[in-house]
Amino acid sequence: MAEYQEPTYAEVNRDVLRTMLVTGPKYWTALGISMTVAVVCFFGPWFYQIHVGVGAAGMNRSAFWGTYLSNFIFWIGLSHSGTLLSAVLHITQSSWRKAIYRSAEAMTLFSLVTAAFFVMVHVGRVWFVHWNFPVPNQMGLWPNFRSPLMFDVMAVTTYLTASSIFIYMGSVPDFAAVRDASTGMRRRLYTIFSFGWRGTQKEWHTLGWAYTFFAVFVIPLAVSVHSIVSWDFAMSIVPSLHQTIFAPYFVCGAIYSGTAGIVSVMFLLRKFLGLERYIREIHLDNLGKLLITLSLIWTYINIMEVFTGWFSGSSFEYEAMKFRMFGFYGPLYWEMLLFCALVPLLMLFGKIRKNWRYMFIISILINIGMLTERFLIVATSQPRKFLPDAFGFYFPSPVEISITVGSFAIFTTLFLVFVKWVPCVSIYEVKETLQPLRKRAT
Amino acid sequence: MASNILGLFRYEEDFIDAAERLKSAGYDELTLMSPIPLHDAEKVAGLGKSSPVRRFSLAGALLGAFGGFALATFSATVFLLPTGGRSIITFPPFLVIAYEMTILLGVLFTLLGFHVVSGLPAWRDVPYVEDTNVDRFSVVVEVDEKSDPEAARRILDEGGADEVRDLGEY
Repeated sequence: MAEYQEPTYAEVNRDVLRTMLVTGPKYWTALGISMTVAVVCFFGPWFYQIHVGVGAAGMNRSAFWGTYLSNFIFWIGLSHSGTLLSAVLHITQSSWRKAIYRSAEAMTLFSLVTAAFFVMVHVGRVWFVHWNFPVPNQMGLWPNFRSPLMFDVMAVTTYLTASSIFIYMGSVPDFAAVRDASTGMRRRLYTIFSFGWRGTQKEWHTLGWAYTFFAVFVIPLAVSVHSIVSWDFAMSIVPSLHQTIFAPYFVCGAIYSGTAGIVSVMFLLRKFLGLERYIREIHLDNLGKLLITLSLIWTYINIMEVFTGWFSGSSFEYEAMKFRMFGFYGPLYWEMLLFCALVPLLMLFGKIRKNWRYMFIISILINIGMLTERFLIVATSQPRKFLPDAFGFYFPSPVEISITVGSFAIFTTLFLVFVKWVPCVSIYEVKETLQPLRKRAT
Repeated sequence: MASNILGLFRYEEDFIDAAERLKSAGYDELTLMSPIPLHDAEKVAGLGKSSPVRRFSLAGALLGAFGGFALATFSATVFLLPTGGRSIITFPPFLVIAYEMTILLGVLFTLLGFHVVSGLPAWRDVPYVEDTNVDRFSVVVEVDEKSDPEAARRILDEGGADEVRDLGEY
């Protein structure tokens, strides 16, 4: 294996800016495919559903929630590691964060946007989506702030705002680097984006403080967002949902799937943007260790969920639990445990943890497991509540399946656009991790 | 009229030394630019261990906390809908709204604080060298009629500057 040679400051600028300024046919092909899939699989079926009504989805009288909501939880969950991990590692001054955090934060942002699409799809009459916002209607009636759904609106919009500001402010010095390396219209645009940044000590000092405060605000926010999403379910009295463990369960699951998402994204960025020199084995190793820890916590919470259900002595809980584990969707439950509890144990072996291909496959499997987990929460609870006359069955319709596939294309499209507009590796923070430009050190 | 002299440095330590020497020679109007944040340079620039940004953050967070609770309380009382004997103004759910608003306004005010304190956006014509954003450190010293430009140039030269340039007036 070739010895790692640290890049110089100028090389960092050159390598990172190249990912933005040089675009090959592979990029355009990927963008074309993802945009086409997004239009055909997401927007087409969505407009069809708007035209014929929400009956196009598989939701029915006992199952009022379907894949739209489970996908909403999945995408909100996926958003969790980016900003949260970045903020936590910034506060704890972990230098390994610096090469990967920008893309991880972008993942947060685009996952949130994708999740927001699912809210619009789920509500059916999308033209009334503004009823979610804290403004009164024509009769002076305000939304009900006692409802977890309103908590959700407040939390997700705050998270979207804070994450956007967090990623933007962290990128300002790098926008200046793009400005300096470009000409014409792009230069004018990045002059605006960079606010006229020069790198004076006053600017660095103020940015450092502001960024730390953003991080301090974002950490409790991220924890609150998924806790609140869990309350959408836990504050109902539906058996298997009405549990106090749901908030930590959701937060842990969110960070878990988000961290796995970071590994997948890092693999692709490294491979296709030629960032091997910056996204290195140490990042993979540390993310792997984090994933093992999260996997163990997630497994423990799952065991506790089953235990508390059993310990409750409630026949409704037993029935819901039995249906989840051994009913129609039983195989999916065991698949979830296989992918999220057992497969990640392979990362205990250093050789696997430091291998990009293995880690990519494991990260994808974890997220398949997490998508399944969210689906099971929705599909095995409401259709199995209380007395048998209220029992029903839910299976996603082709429209819902298509929209689910399309959502991945929306995320991919947004990410592909992002890598051409924002340096996907933080230039100035990577420079901070290099040997300082000192006479005595050279 | 004040004019500006730029010294461009390859090494961080030369840059800091030159800035310190200029400062002790009485040149107070210094602009220090670097590709990365440097605590030593911040000290030379006279920037303290804290920043007024924190006051903006605190103000935003407090306003958000009170504003969020007030919003929930106001919306519940403007159109009374008693339900199941529950109280109209109720703490647990309203505190969640207050919590989210604390963070939202805290973040927005921190952003405002950043702009106010840093003076950005600043799209006016100011002394700047693009190399500073790559791998060079620069000191811009503003000299007026009372100060000696030659002495400043000499300090920069002797301090190991790769290049000393007259930038004129801004």
